[in-house]
Amino acid sequence: MTPSSQRFLGIVLLASSIVLSSVGQLCMKVGMQELKQSAVALAPTWTALSALHEPLLFTVGGLLAYAISMLAWLAVLVRYPLSYAYPFLSLSYVLVYIGATHWSRLMETATPLRTAGTLLILVGVVLVSRTEGRAAI
Amino acid sequence: MSDLILLAAVGFLSASQVLQKLGAQRRLHGTTGTRQWVLALFSPELVGAAVAIVIGTLLWLYVLYEMEVSRAFPFLSLGSVVVVAVSRLFLGEHVSLHRWAGVLLITVGITLVAQS
Repeated sequence: MTPSSQRFLGIVLLASSIVLSSVGQLCMKVGMQELKQSAVALAPTWTALSALHEPLLFTVGGLLAYAISMLAWLAVLVRYPLSYAYPFLSLSYVLVYIGATHWSRLMETATPLRTAGTLLILVGVVLVSRTEGRAAI
Repeated sequence: MSDLILLAAVGFLSASQVLQKLGAQRRLHGTTGTRQWVLALFSPELVGAAVAIVIGTLLWLYVLYEMEVSRAFPFLSLGSVVVVAVSRLFLGEHVSLHRWAGVLLITVGITLVAQS
């Protein structure tokens, strides 16, 4: 592979790891939340079980996304130093925050303090991204 | 007590990252094909990393049960500092002042995100 396509692959892997872990977290949260609600609302009958279908799908899908994100992360570590790549994982706090406050199934409240926090994380990640990140292996 | 468990959780999660990096470096680097990759997942480094992440996550979940999230998160965010510090100490990575500054901003940011 040429150096530029190597670089591109590295970025794709890093982005997949971050996005998949965030999507995984959000889906697990939605799944668990709706499981809890259905469990309270319904008696243990077959109809109840079919109502659990969707929350279970979210929970399992979330876990799967999380597992794939871990494999992508290993592929990232083959290419970058740990002290360079690890700070990028904090971007998932930003993605989870955006998802949790905008996804209609969650709709958690955004606060100025939290939003300021996500902005600080972004600035921090930009600073790290501008340091030398070529793998020294 | 919760504080100690929290520190242990951060320790296990950080150790898992170092083991994952060692595994990637020693076992995954240069592998070709899925079979080799899957075999590498069962190397001592990566099995150790998996064990450490499971223990760390269980401890973390226990702490979240006992403690306010806004109190627990700053500790977890310290994990970034710990991981960068051990990368420097044990993996011999060069960490520039710029990178440290970025990591510190991230740590403060995570602390703020957890405040209600």
